[in-house]
Amino acid sequence: MDELALKELLYKMADDLLILGHRNSEWTGFGPLLEEDIAFSSMAQDKIGQSYALYSILHTLGEREPDTVAFTRNGNQFHNSIFVELPNGEYDFSLIRHFLYDTAEAFRYEMLSASSYQPLAELSRKIRAELRYHTLHANTWMKQLGSATEESIGRLQKSLDYAIPFALGMFEASPYEKELITTGVFGGEQVLQERWMKKVEEIISQTSLHVPDWKLIQPVFGGREGKHSEFLQPLLDEMSEVFRIDPSAEW
Amino acid sequence: MKSLDPRVNRLPVIGQPGQILPKAPLDQFGTFEVFVQPKEGKPFQHEGIVHAPNLEMAFVLAKEAFTRRFTCVSLYVTDTRNVYVSPMTDGTVNAYEFVNEIPTQSGDKTSYEIYHLLKRGKQHQHVGTVQAVTPQEAMSEARKIFKNDKVVYNIWAIRTSDIRFTNPEEKELWLTLPEKKFRDASDYKGGDKLKEFLEKAK
Amino acid sequence: MYGGGNTFEGIKTDSVALEDPIKLAEFEARIARGEKIEPTDWMPALYRKQLIRMIEQHAHSEIIGALPEGTWITRAPGFKRKLSLMAKVQDEVGHGQLLYSAAETLGKSREEMIQDLISGKSKYSNIFNYPAFTWADSCFISWLVDAGAIVNQLANAKGSYGPYCRALDRICAEESFHLKYGHHCVIYLAAGTQKQRDMFQEALNRWWPPMMHFFGPSDKISVHTEVLMKWKVKMGSNDDMRNQFLDMYVPKIWELGFTIPDPNLKKNTETGRWEYTEPDWEEFKRVINGDGPCNKERLEVRRIAEERGRWVREALKSAKSKYVTPLA
Repeated sequence: MDELALKELLYKMADDLLILGHRNSEWTGFGPLLEEDIAFSSMAQDKIGQSYALYSILHTLGEREPDTVAFTRNGNQFHNSIFVELPNGEYDFSLIRHFLYDTAEAFRYEMLSASSYQPLAELSRKIRAELRYHTLHANTWMKQLGSATEESIGRLQKSLDYAIPFALGMFEASPYEKELITTGVFGGEQVLQERWMKKVEEIISQTSLHVPDWKLIQPVFGGREGKHSEFLQPLLDEMSEVFRIDPSAEW
Repeated sequence: MKSLDPRVNRLPVIGQPGQILPKAPLDQFGTFEVFVQPKEGKPFQHEGIVHAPNLEMAFVLAKEAFTRRFTCVSLYVTDTRNVYVSPMTDGTVNAYEFVNEIPTQSGDKTSYEIYHLLKRGKQHQHVGTVQAVTPQEAMSEARKIFKNDKVVYNIWAIRTSDIRFTNPEEKELWLTLPEKKFRDASDYKGGDKLKEFLEKAK
Repeated sequence: MYGGGNTFEGIKTDSVALEDPIKLAEFEARIARGEKIEPTDWMPALYRKQLIRMIEQHAHSEIIGALPEGTWITRAPGFKRKLSLMAKVQDEVGHGQLLYSAAETLGKSREEMIQDLISGKSKYSNIFNYPAFTWADSCFISWLVDAGAIVNQLANAKGSYGPYCRALDRICAEESFHLKYGHHCVIYLAAGTQKQRDMFQEALNRWWPPMMHFFGPSDKISVHTEVLMKWKVKMGSNDDMRNQFLDMYVPKIWELGFTIPDPNLKKNTETGRWEYTEPDWEEFKRVINGDGPCNKERLEVRRIAEERGRWVREALKSAKSKYVTPLA
């Protein structure tokens, strides 16, 4: 098993979860309904917790401690997709991102539950169990809000159209795709993307929304190589503001 | 708005400060009663309500409102309007004294879930299922089957088909709940750090 | 989490004289023997009114209380603190939800309660009208403001109204980690670098006066609340609650080597009561009536949150929805 391939995979997954969890936590206390505020915050905590578990595996492979890795790297050292660093916008964009992202993650961790790398397989089974709620939540919201009023349908459609090119950036091929597949660590981004597209179409077909023509979409890549939008660095600066007062201090 | 909170500084401008628009009726929807089973083999217990637009959303929202903590293996919800209630008694009066035994009704029987309140200030707990045509008959059946020496202060009956249960494959929703230690008091052992500090301070 | 210093102004007990004396006697007998009052029981109008007000204020305090701590969610230092603070602030929203539900059983709708908060008609715990300038401020709130709230909550959990007691039972169980988390944070600041110690001392200096206001005006200038004590709505005098808090937490603060900005603060070993500089109750009145550093911001944030979510709630509403008063 090539450690570089494995580490690259773990970093990008951990970074995605950390950044999206952080973004979603920005809704805590500001949600559209008290009960939904609580639910959305729980899912954000799950993601942060999952990222911590992945950084912990990286630590066993020789990378630095999770706090150091998460709170001191610069933007160009992060491997998250640009999709997750985008600002929250209104609830329509946040829900669309939640739906598109978690649909992919459910398949990703389903696939990884059979990984030849045992620690990842074990963790993936737990993450997949947590994702059952995340996808139940996302699908319920999409089906209800996506068929409700002119305003809700209009807003969700606009957000969907905006999000899809960025969402495709989640599946940006790794330089180690072949290796990950042949060593059985991970079945690869292509297989994942195909499953995801089918599922997205299936859920969206139960709403008044429509999925744009996949063939006409230009995916927004770059995140996996550390090439980010103008939104990531300010996010990281904010996230590490207190930590950086004294990185050697214990808080 | 200029705030110490960077999230607040990113809030959109909507309307005017102090411009309080009236709330539409049902802005907060209706309510659903939430029941939680803490462990396998234990009865479901009423825990509270969620505001939700419909039964399915109530289930989704109840899961985090009421089972994000402690132990849980199953959850269900029902519209508040579907709960048929007996009078509330006090002192040593059994609420079953106020439930009339009625003759068997004609028609298709369906099942009803029955709940008891054993002490004012506590929560209703599930005690079993009866077959009945109407809620009144369900109460009457419950009296026949569940009334004993123990004082019950209040009885609820809910038609089983009005309940959104947890499906078997959904049980993994609570798989990792025991592992979320950061929400447990026991995960915050400041004792050693405090001791170390007090030693140094001497 | 944040019940405390409830304002009980304007209690007119004359309405009690108009109540059915037999029903009133039965009601009071039930309370005296320690039985809880449930929503369908007969209750005096004053009892219902004061309870709605108290529970509602408590709920609003949770929702507003989420804001000064929430200020630090995106900047919490390290995974452990990040996760803990997210969970804690989430709990505050959750406690608000539980408390609104309890107040609803008395007949006031959640729509009306939310509107009364945003319009400034209903009050909430005054301490949240102050700014959380630093990470150490959020630690002060998590430890000591929470501690104050728990003193009140434990007392109120023995009160007479069933739904409020049930909500408080759940809240107290969820709170257990909040207090430990808060203390844990402060221990680490105390045991940390000079910068960390100074940050907390400075925060403590700023938050101490509002903390002394937290339990409400001193008994000698407070409104008479004997009937509410008899009905187990109010469970202890403001001064008693304040004294309990000081007794439990001042030693813990001093143990960490921090100073409290009140040279008169000491325990009278004869009476067992804590002595302190009389807090400025005019300042308390000023702030709770709208003139504090953060009042406008707190309400504006809630107003924006409600408006932002309006289209979402509008869309989900269906013709089949109907509202009935919750049962328990």
